[in-house]
Amino acid sequence: MPTRTDLRSAVSAGLVAGVVIIYLMAVGIAAVFSERQVVTGYLTLGRVMLIVPALGVGYLVAGRSGSALSRAVLALVAGGAAGGLFSAAFLASVALSPGIRHVLIRIAAPLLDFIGFADLGFDPTAGAALNLALTAAVALSAGLVRIAPAATRRAIVGGAGAILALTMLEPFLRPRLLSFGFSDFARFTYVSHGLSVTSAAATFAIGGLLVGFWPRTRGKVRATLAAADPGTRSALRWAGLLLAIVFFYTLPWLSGSFLTQVLVLVGFYVLLGLGLNIVVGYAGLLDLGYVAFYAVGAYFTALMTSPTSALGWGLNFWVALPIVVLLSAMVGLFIGAPVLRLRGDYLAIVTLGFGEIARVLLGADALKPWLGGPTGILSVPPMIGGGTYTLPIIGEVTGPAATYFPLLGFCLLAAFVAHRLKYSRTGRAWNAMREDEDVAQATGINIVNYKLLAFAIGASVGCIGGAIYATHLQGVVPGGFILLVSITVLAVVVLGGMGSIPGVIVGAFALIGLPEMLREFAEYKLLVYGAVLVAVMLLRPEGLVPDASRRAELEEARGGDGPDREPMLEVISGDA
Amino acid sequence: MSMQASSDLTQMSDSDGPPLLVARGVTKTFEGLVANRDIDFDIPRHSIVSIIGPNGAGKTTFFNQLSGVYHPTSGTIEFEGTSLSSMAPHLVATLGVARTYQNIRLFQNMSVLANVMVGRHVRMHGQWYGAIGRLAGIRREEDDASRHALELLELVGIRRSSADDLARSLPYGDQRRLEVARALASDPKLLLLDEPTAGMNPGETRQMTDFIARLRRDLQLTILLIEHDMKVVMGVSERITVLDYGEKIAEGTPAEIRANPRVIEAYLGKQASA
Repeated sequence: MPTRTDLRSAVSAGLVAGVVIIYLMAVGIAAVFSERQVVTGYLTLGRVMLIVPALGVGYLVAGRSGSALSRAVLALVAGGAAGGLFSAAFLASVALSPGIRHVLIRIAAPLLDFIGFADLGFDPTAGAALNLALTAAVALSAGLVRIAPAATRRAIVGGAGAILALTMLEPFLRPRLLSFGFSDFARFTYVSHGLSVTSAAATFAIGGLLVGFWPRTRGKVRATLAAADPGTRSALRWAGLLLAIVFFYTLPWLSGSFLTQVLVLVGFYVLLGLGLNIVVGYAGLLDLGYVAFYAVGAYFTALMTSPTSALGWGLNFWVALPIVVLLSAMVGLFIGAPVLRLRGDYLAIVTLGFGEIARVLLGADALKPWLGGPTGILSVPPMIGGGTYTLPIIGEVTGPAATYFPLLGFCLLAAFVAHRLKYSRTGRAWNAMREDEDVAQATGINIVNYKLLAFAIGASVGCIGGAIYATHLQGVVPGGFILLVSITVLAVVVLGGMGSIPGVIVGAFALIGLPEMLREFAEYKLLVYGAVLVAVMLLRPEGLVPDASRRAELEEARGGDGPDREPMLEVISGDA
Repeated sequence: MSMQASSDLTQMSDSDGPPLLVARGVTKTFEGLVANRDIDFDIPRHSIVSIIGPNGAGKTTFFNQLSGVYHPTSGTIEFEGTSLSSMAPHLVATLGVARTYQNIRLFQNMSVLANVMVGRHVRMHGQWYGAIGRLAGIRREEDDASRHALELLELVGIRRSSADDLARSLPYGDQRRLEVARALASDPKLLLLDEPTAGMNPGETRQMTDFIARLRRDLQLTILLIEHDMKVVMGVSERITVLDYGEKIAEGTPAEIRANPRVIEAYLGKQASA
């Protein structure tokens, strides 16, 4: 049996989960998602939101040491506490319903009906009892999953994850399936925007099997790869690369216009993240005004390419780009020079100021003749051939896809440059500076030069992002360059893992791509950002995909210049 | 006392050409507080010399002026004829002065190998544009640097298998060794060791002093040790300089220092009152 202290902490954890559930109810998240079906007729996303805290607390509490029985009891107790608090709050809301609407505007009759299972003919008391039982049962089952052997646990989590993923993709996946002629499959999978019971079961089984057996399969694949001769491995690598190229090449065509628009948005943040990663992740200079470089790139491009701008040159994008990059690198130096002596928090505050100065200047009346004030600069021509061009195999490219291809190219280029710099004398000097500035200097590193270099390279990457952004929107307005952009890019870098290139990509997809999958989220985006960042910092401070420098440096040290040891990016560059 | 010190100085310098480092009348004050007063100090080539003194005697302040962290308020410091008196630390490192720290200061979140390779920075020439293009010269330089770093790890006695571990994951003794390897990576002429045996037990201390003697012999280095524990430096150094309250109170061979009444007073007096 669990000890008294364990029980007490299970109850308090349960109460915290109860508060979170009530919060989700009160701010309206549950209501917003109650329309979205997971398993049509049985489970909505709103209900999932309400049980997620119970899942979490059950899983957490069952992680304590002790017998399986006592851990299960703890999970049940925590779930009971959460459910009790939730049900009480629900009953109170029903009782006070018309009155509290003035304060908590989201708590309306439809929400209370939804929570209390009114559609099943339950009165509020019975609904509250059912919610209590449901919450406790959910926490208990999460606890049981925690107690179960690793493979089983992984399978169950994987299955549940697969169901959720398929549900979230429904608005994009179903139309695509229909347009590619898989209408039977679409009809089998989705019933009025949610999964059918059969397809949910099938998804759970397939996802569970895949994830459950993944570690074993991965082990086997690795062993086979290690045993293969260098020629085979190199061939496999090339095949993998070819597949990746084909995948990214056909992606806009496969995913349709809306998803391509999302990809483009993610791409902008990947590019900005890669640039900021050099400044923050490699060199350890906390820059909160990165948006300034994004804005500088966009405005310089607009000035030079738009025929209606103050300059009125109407240059071709590709002619203007090198000039823009050079100018932005100079702006990077210009901003970098005065802050060279600042460290840590002080640097962050000053760069934050620079970002704001940039935004205010862009919208200022004094600069209106050149920058256009609040209305910005319009008629920026598209990058390539009037925004529509033809590519082999996939044919005519237009709309967001016209931005997608060059953006993808620049992202690859930035990743390549970042990768090369990372494993070089320059990258090591930056890292040393990040770790201990005084010691780095005593080791012979000219920290003034290396700080300026980091600022200049970071600025160039950011400004390329801005330049593409200007052509993508065919215009620039100051409203697009707010502090939130700086913060989001930083969040992308931190979430993915400071200094990690794959981390930036994963971070951008998670922070920019996922919210687009859940349009209902828009209103709560910042709330969720905050929660996710706090959770990541607490549970996985090194980020989702931590920097793998140790492995790579070892390879380098062992004389790994044979083609079989080259990292993927070397192959892309073609000099392997 | 100063008469005796200066006669020793002449004797030592004659044996092996001009001294590697010459400090004259070095005074350092911090807002009126005198940390070093009028210190004359020479480091002959290929010697091991030590600066000792009770805690707070100004040893580390003096040391920091030799590595360019501080600049003397008055007086001169010359390394092979070049004045260090107003030189930035990174340039001092380029001249061939490398150091370790009393409280270990590794690049904690970098690999063991990368720490040593950063130490090699001043002897490498690769620039950022070369790194992006990965030109043949850059590749060769990187390969050479990592090979050199692995050799140094072997020299200081860190296992090759931990080359890719993070520096912070090494045991304490290995962290001290890694600091030495990082300093050696720059091919220094003068190695400054700030209390290299701090926090070590007698067995480890013994190993470290043997290692220091071996370094001088095998790598033709000149070494300056800073210690507050007199016993450590007695066996290994040719000459010892004693600082107390920021002033040089004695200089000479270990035997002379051991017999010097002012040194005994400075040490025993401190210990008695403490």
